[in-house]
Amino acid sequence: MSKEQPIRTGRRDARPDTPSHVKGVKEGNSTGNYDKQEGHLPDGRSTAARSTGIQAGSRDPIDPDSPSLSPA
Amino acid sequence: MTTRQESREAAHEGRELVEMSWDPITRIIGNLGIYTKIDFNNREVVECKSTSSLFRGYSVFMKGKDPRDAHFITSRICGICGDNHAVCSIYAQNMAYGVKPPPLADWIINLGEAAEFMFDHTLFQDNLVFVDYCEQMVKETNPSLLRRAETTEAPRGDLHGHRTIADIMRAFNPFTGDMYREALVISRVTREMCCLMEGRHVHPSTLYPGGVGTVATPQLFTDYLSRLLRVLDFVKKAVPMNDDLFDFFYEALPGYEKVGERRVMLGCWGTFQDPEAVDYDYRNMNEWGRRMFVTPGIVLDGELLTTNLVDINLGMRILLGSSYYDDWVSEETFVTHDPLGNPVDQRHPWNQTTLPKPQKRDLDGGKYSWVMSPRWYDQRTGDHLALDTGGGPLARLWSTALAGIVDTGTVRATGSSVVINLPKSPSFPDMQLEWRVPRWANTIERNRARIYFIAYAAAMAFYFVERGLDEVRGGYTKVFTDFDVPDDAIGCGFHEAVRGVLSHHMVIRDGKIANYHPYPPTPWNASPRDVYGTPGPYEDAVQGLPIFEENGPDDFKGIDIMRTVRSFDPCLPCGVHMYLGGGKVLKKVHSPTLGNSVQGA
Repeated sequence: MSKEQPIRTGRRDARPDTPSHVKGVKEGNSTGNYDKQEGHLPDGRSTAARSTGIQAGSRDPIDPDSPSLSPA
Repeated sequence: MTTRQESREAAHEGRELVEMSWDPITRIIGNLGIYTKIDFNNREVVECKSTSSLFRGYSVFMKGKDPRDAHFITSRICGICGDNHAVCSIYAQNMAYGVKPPPLADWIINLGEAAEFMFDHTLFQDNLVFVDYCEQMVKETNPSLLRRAETTEAPRGDLHGHRTIADIMRAFNPFTGDMYREALVISRVTREMCCLMEGRHVHPSTLYPGGVGTVATPQLFTDYLSRLLRVLDFVKKAVPMNDDLFDFFYEALPGYEKVGERRVMLGCWGTFQDPEAVDYDYRNMNEWGRRMFVTPGIVLDGELLTTNLVDINLGMRILLGSSYYDDWVSEETFVTHDPLGNPVDQRHPWNQTTLPKPQKRDLDGGKYSWVMSPRWYDQRTGDHLALDTGGGPLARLWSTALAGIVDTGTVRATGSSVVINLPKSPSFPDMQLEWRVPRWANTIERNRARIYFIAYAAAMAFYFVERGLDEVRGGYTKVFTDFDVPDDAIGCGFHEAVRGVLSHHMVIRDGKIANYHPYPPTPWNASPRDVYGTPGPYEDAVQGLPIFEENGPDDFKGIDIMRTVRSFDPCLPCGVHMYLGGGKVLKKVHSPTLGNSVQGA
């Protein structure tokens, strides 16, 4: 390993002021994203399905008469 | 690790002046130096200049960044009130994006910030400020005062359990005093409270524009509440102890009210948003600003000039004069008018361009500090007021008291005082405290206000917990509102850092930050002489200060000067070098905590 380059690194492809967002890539904060996620009700409440994104439907109570409570 | 540099200057205007300097000031964060000329014959400080040898450059490197990163980056401005910066940046972003978070998110931010106020004030007051008032220090600087303290009964001894004033002073002795040690425990508990709400302390990981990522379970609030009750026990003991000690100083040292006194020129930008009022829209900023649970305001000569955040915003001027920067008058004007159509000055933070110009420090009529000179333009008189924050709590309590708006049940502003109701806690019954508007803005009152504001924040936290739990019990668990980042927008955030006013001004162009200027409290307090020759608040408060220390020039500690500067809770992150005189610079890495300095390169 040469003295000039003590640690071998790849060629950088970003400048220090490159923004963290690239146009066209989906953003978590975008409008509509919240409503698309499971378990979020339009009035600000939530259901048990909110606890996970995996097979959200099966997170509902086994007994259909039980309330579907939010994990929070 | 304060160093003094002495040189005698003979017969200046018939007075013998001794030059003394403390650079850096210890037990604070940062590179603050105080340079004074003292007339020992008349026991008075004749001239004072405050300098900072630290350049940060946040306003320079924020340009071109994604605006959504702003709160994560600006949080790193400070290692002790970073969450205040994050929250202030989030307020500015909310305005720029036009997003209003759900109510629960604002309650959670308020709870986190209340914990931060309790944490930071406790640590600073009991572990750093009181070192200047403890038995060991008073023994060295004012032995006759200590003798008197030994025989003076503490009027509120039944509440805090210390019989004499000297017992109180002993309780604040570093490392051995019981209050010193208890304060360390409490600052840990309050820090945990902040972490519960904000994910991390001091750089929050769960606060974002549009809301929070904190999962609001009932347990979150009960975990917070159980810690809050422990803090209450401490507060109920600490407030009467502080009152006893500070009242004793007034009584035993007649004229001590002149120490650190300056004209009442206080600024408070308000804190704790009311989710029912706030929509983060600039056009309604006057209405929702007044509904904050600490009322923003400018207090001049004991009179409340305004509580309108729009007026406060438009009056801000960043002046130069003694700072190492080039002027930006001929640079770009980013914002000509605010969203209400009011003209915005070129010296306003929205239009500032930072042009650093490093140079040699010149304390004789030249430039001597990296701090600029923020001033507030008073339209009625045309004055550029050198507002101070009174260390934070003095301005917050004064403005809130005079405005008389806040009334949550736990805290009520009366127009001339603030009444704080603290519920029952493990060792104490419920207690009512009242902070009354003092006669002076001086060193003692700045310090006294700090302990009262811990009680204020604790009482407010009870209200916030109830309101947060109401939302959760109602099933309203939503803590985030989604938004899109506009291509062009402006925003401003007004908040209180622990030691006073905090504002963030942002301009977005092409979806990136085009201009960003945070203005924390210390630039206001530590500012040097401006272009009009007006001294900054530290300089103003120390100039003309009467000296009560019993030591002569040879073993002078400057305790009255140190008490005054520290009463402002100075914070110039983070001290790295020490000037020893004779051109020899000794580099050290030091931590702000007494006796815990780490030797470094």
